[in-house]
Amino acid sequence: MTRDRALEIVVVGAGIAGMQASLLLSKAGRKVHLIERASVIGGLATKFEEVFTSMECATCMLAPMEQELLQDSNINLMTLANIEEVIRTPQGFKVKVRIKARFVDAVSCIGCGACYDLCPASAPNEYELGLSSRKAIFVPCAGALPNIPMIDPNLCLRFKGHQCDACKQACMFEAIDFQQKERILELDVGAIVVATGADIINTKELPKCGYGSIEGVYTSLEFERFYASNGPTSGKIVLRDGRVPKSVAIVHCVGRSESGYCSSVCCMYSFKFNHYLRSKIPEIEIIEFVTDLCVPGKAGQHFMREAASGKTRIVRVRDLEIREGTSQPIISYSLEDGDRDEAAVDMVILAPSLVPDPGTQELAEMLDISTDNRGFLQVNKDNRIEWARKGIFVIGCAEGPKDIEASVAQANAATARILREGLLDEL
Amino acid sequence: MEALDSRDEVVVVERHRLLCSHDGKSWLENRIRENSLTHLVIAACSPRDREQIFMEACGRAGLNPHLFQLANVREHCAWTTDRKEEATEKAIRMTRIAIARVRYQAPLEKKEIEVNPDVLVVGGGVAGLRACATLASQLRKVFLVESTDRLGGMIARFEKAFPDMRDVKSYLENLVNDVRSNPRIEVMTEAKVERIIGFFGNFEIVVRKGGSDSGATELRVGAVILATGASLADPKGIEGFDLCAVPDVFTALEFEDMNRRGCIVCRNGSPPKSVAIIHCIGREEKGYCSGICCMYSLKFSRYLTDKISSVQVTHLYRDMCVPGRFYQDYFEESLGDRVKIVRHRKSRVTEKEGRPIVLYEDVNGRENALAVDMVILAPAMEPADGSRRIAEVAGIPLDKEGFILERHPKLATESSGKDGIYIAGCAQEPKSIEESVIQAEAVAGKIMASLVPGRKIEPEVRISTIADSFCQGCGSCVAVCPYGAVSLDERRKVAVVNEVICRGCGNCAAACPSGAASIRHYTRSQMYQEIMEAVR
Amino acid sequence: MISLDRLRVAALVSDGNDVKEMIVSLLGKALREGVFDAVLVPLVAPGQDSYDYVLVGNPSLLKGANPIPPVVPVSGGRALMSLARRGTGDMRIAAVMRPCEIRAAIELAKLGQVDLKGITLIGMDCPGALPLQDFVKSPEDGEEKFKTVLRSFDDDGVRPVCKMCRSSATLFGDLHFGFVGLEDRSCFLMSQTTKGNDVLDRMSLGTGVDASAWARGIEGLSARREAGRTETLGELSERVVGTEKLLRAFGDCINCHNCMRVCPICYCRVCGFDSQRGGHPAVDYFQRAQSKGSLRLPADTMLFHLGRMAHMSLSCVSCGACEDACPASIPIAQIFSLVGDRAQRAFDYFPGSSVDDAIPLLVFREEEFEGDDENG
Repeated sequence: MTRDRALEIVVVGAGIAGMQASLLLSKAGRKVHLIERASVIGGLATKFEEVFTSMECATCMLAPMEQELLQDSNINLMTLANIEEVIRTPQGFKVKVRIKARFVDAVSCIGCGACYDLCPASAPNEYELGLSSRKAIFVPCAGALPNIPMIDPNLCLRFKGHQCDACKQACMFEAIDFQQKERILELDVGAIVVATGADIINTKELPKCGYGSIEGVYTSLEFERFYASNGPTSGKIVLRDGRVPKSVAIVHCVGRSESGYCSSVCCMYSFKFNHYLRSKIPEIEIIEFVTDLCVPGKAGQHFMREAASGKTRIVRVRDLEIREGTSQPIISYSLEDGDRDEAAVDMVILAPSLVPDPGTQELAEMLDISTDNRGFLQVNKDNRIEWARKGIFVIGCAEGPKDIEASVAQANAATARILREGLLDEL
Repeated sequence: MEALDSRDEVVVVERHRLLCSHDGKSWLENRIRENSLTHLVIAACSPRDREQIFMEACGRAGLNPHLFQLANVREHCAWTTDRKEEATEKAIRMTRIAIARVRYQAPLEKKEIEVNPDVLVVGGGVAGLRACATLASQLRKVFLVESTDRLGGMIARFEKAFPDMRDVKSYLENLVNDVRSNPRIEVMTEAKVERIIGFFGNFEIVVRKGGSDSGATELRVGAVILATGASLADPKGIEGFDLCAVPDVFTALEFEDMNRRGCIVCRNGSPPKSVAIIHCIGREEKGYCSGICCMYSLKFSRYLTDKISSVQVTHLYRDMCVPGRFYQDYFEESLGDRVKIVRHRKSRVTEKEGRPIVLYEDVNGRENALAVDMVILAPAMEPADGSRRIAEVAGIPLDKEGFILERHPKLATESSGKDGIYIAGCAQEPKSIEESVIQAEAVAGKIMASLVPGRKIEPEVRISTIADSFCQGCGSCVAVCPYGAVSLDERRKVAVVNEVICRGCGNCAAACPSGAASIRHYTRSQMYQEIMEAVR
Repeated sequence: MISLDRLRVAALVSDGNDVKEMIVSLLGKALREGVFDAVLVPLVAPGQDSYDYVLVGNPSLLKGANPIPPVVPVSGGRALMSLARRGTGDMRIAAVMRPCEIRAAIELAKLGQVDLKGITLIGMDCPGALPLQDFVKSPEDGEEKFKTVLRSFDDDGVRPVCKMCRSSATLFGDLHFGFVGLEDRSCFLMSQTTKGNDVLDRMSLGTGVDASAWARGIEGLSARREAGRTETLGELSERVVGTEKLLRAFGDCINCHNCMRVCPICYCRVCGFDSQRGGHPAVDYFQRAQSKGSLRLPADTMLFHLGRMAHMSLSCVSCGACEDACPASIPIAQIFSLVGDRAQRAFDYFPGSSVDDAIPLLVFREEEFEGDDENG
């Protein structure tokens, strides 16, 4: 069946996969509506300071892509946006989008940040996983793009009925607009690309890992934020009481038996963490608790060996539990031959399973696609990007846990499929 | 500004606050027109940022863009020092240099060529075939060059493919049929690519069929995809696996062949009752994990348990590498009472009483012996010889493992460092069939988005020019040209520049002793004027 | 080091003739038997006071031929280039010249200026050559002097570059007449290539002769010259290395560019330093004179020499043609040999040994030239 060319496409999610697909489709001359739930673009990768295996600065890697995207006239970027409804049409889909009000005018605002300091309301910063706080008018973190704040109407005193216009007073460009309204857009598109990414499994609900109850136990994402120079500690790796940890345990496969699959990136990022730790605390003792080391590819093993060449011990375990010691967390584990042992460390970093983004189920219902028993969108096993019915493409971690290169490859491949439509000699 | 006003031939000296702004550019164009300027000098910022923009402004105003010179008084002057007076002196001098030079510049004419939308695919394995099938359409032709006499590559030897255990024969047959029956795809088997010169949108290719004396075909394409695949390492070179004397030991591909022929049997003609599959052969020697061997080893144990009811299979592995959404399920479903996994550190295979015996060190360091009827080895994947050769022809580097080096390990694994030359499949890195197919389609996506028929590219005009009257045909320029853009006209014994391929790098002008070769817009006269003014 | 096992050695029959006569006689025989269509060989000049390269097809005209003349006014490489830039067609030509001239021809072949396909290069043991200008002033004295030198090979009175020759240690070309260290009126004809072997076969010259006496002689000769080179260039570098000293060394230069014109390696149709592309206005000269104190005219003498060094020193074979041609008696060949040796050593390159040995600047190697520790 030859479909018409999809001249307009909706891409859901402005993480790396979504951005890559949008840029490539735009290059081909198509119009892209990029729908992003957050107030900034970039997705999960913006939380990293560096990426494996080159240990390249993640921001430096992403920034050119993000800049290009923000300036691309073919790409209609909608932040603070969500899909409300999707209806199939003969040409493709009618997509209803709700765009929340930012209450800041994107054209006038130059991102000077003068409005933040004076805001009297603050709350834990979700982007920083609660490790630091933010104001009611805020950008999630320094360097995020677009560099335009948003007002959280649930926190802002004015929206709660109080008299406050501190931010408006501080703004020299008259960019604050309390009257801004949310908008509903209806888009007619030929294809939808789902790139909603992943999240980490809720470690609070996992028994035995002590997250949330034991002091000194963090998730990998929290640790990324510690190391990040634009993070809550400006890059200092410290415990809550200010002490610098002398020993660290990185626990792999957290939640793997619950989720039932290997998240494929954790071994690699744990060795990246070795680099992080040694660069700040050269003499730190690192223990990696692993089940199987998953380092495929031409650079993986070398990266591992190099990163773990110092005082790093790799211990293969059958099962493991974290409990509270008198002054430190204690890891109680059994080796493969059954022997048990314990290790007391200052800090524990958990490498949790990557699970579908929380909004996936709702999106699946809107798209009329089923999800599998883990919550991932069902894909056509034959080619892994496109769903069984034509026109909907699932890429990146929305399709399954994977690293950046695999996400980018899927984004490019999905673009090929979209561009192929309407051409003769179709498969 | 006063310092410049008095120079002869300078008719206008003016200043603008933000020349690169929209208003600034309009203002510039107006000044050019009003004064009927024949040459223009701007003292501002880096040519890297702005030369293009100002050249375009000249063009719109009717002034040849090459009769313009930009003096970088920002990065090369103002931003280098606090000493204002000296900086001003330098800025004046720099502007005078530009004025001196611009007089000697020539009005070069723009060249425009249409991109060639066609594509050359090197390698007829699954990645190459998939790239052909995705790309061929009424918009572009695809040329597929395969060095052997058949299409399909390594996977033609497989019965099934993980993780869905699809039938490879019918999958491949369909794919090959699609390619062969497609009128927009030209397949050349038993052929090798001998020459690739040019750049994105404009490559000149030479393909030679058969032996070295047979005819060569010349092709023109806009993009090249290298899909030359990989091979499996020979265990013979690996310690502990030099297996001349040991019977019934097979490499992965030998086992695939045996399986496909439908007879998994030992030397004595009976099916094996016990099989050991050893993972990670050559992993230490190569220094990397090939990523697919655990999965295909599990596939092998499935072949065995499906076909031999009483077989016992033992996997000797180091790490079970089953990443992603689907592979762990596959792993768990492969195990059972007939399939065991044993983690080990080192192993070797030797012979005892006519049967293979695997001696291995377990995780506790203890030596174990496992006597079996058959041993299957899962060796590392290594770059194919064909990849090395084609990378040299294409002029792109290999990485330190010998695979073709990608442009960026995260954002661009499907491109090489050269615009227009792409990589798909195991030629870039060991990967599964699924990943190869995705990468082939990723390449197709990149090509389809950029190599659009009708789009124009402007080849460089500041290129080499070789004066016949001075040239002695020594060929030094030919030897040093990195683009293959210069050739020797044997009849006239002079060097000739391919004006579309030349990028104006200047190597030829540097190598030429007589000065016959020079670069337009960087001629000796122009350089001399700059230097003389600089030291005046 | 001469490695005799790769050579086919034939002994020439003397019939009472001296070495020169034996060589000429062999060349005549070769012409008559059709082994060659023509021979390129020095012939005495009409005025009897010099020698010219002549292309001879008629064997009877070989009467005045002298394969080892006392002087080398024109480098054999240049003569060959003017003849065979486009090859020799179907003709087979023997080119008889000294080893350094053969080396120059091989360098020219790499630079596309000589097509060696139809040419058989024939060298000989070289006793050196006399300074050209002295010889031309009194040819009879020169001939007498040379007879002694040819007999003794003691290098007495030969040009400075010949005393430090690097072309004696191995054979260059296809064939070689060897007679050093042998009895009087003995001469070997040795082949080291297929082309050379072919000539020996066609002339039915039996091989298998023991050439160890000759090899010893040659090794002694070349060792002496190599030692001479180290000493001479060592002294020379004291005199010319450094800006002041260099300027003084070239102080007498009149910018005639003779050295470039006679140099076999300088093949450019018009030398970049001859052309007037610069077109300096007078005020520029005045400015330079002002800033330096004074300015010699014509200017850019050093620029020419340094530029020529940059262009050809990798291929310099120390043939000495430049020094013979210099009207200001500047030891130009020695200075260029000094620079050439160092440049060639930095790339581990010996010009003129084989056509397959590519000129270093024209070959891309990913890792090379990690620096010259002598001079940083």
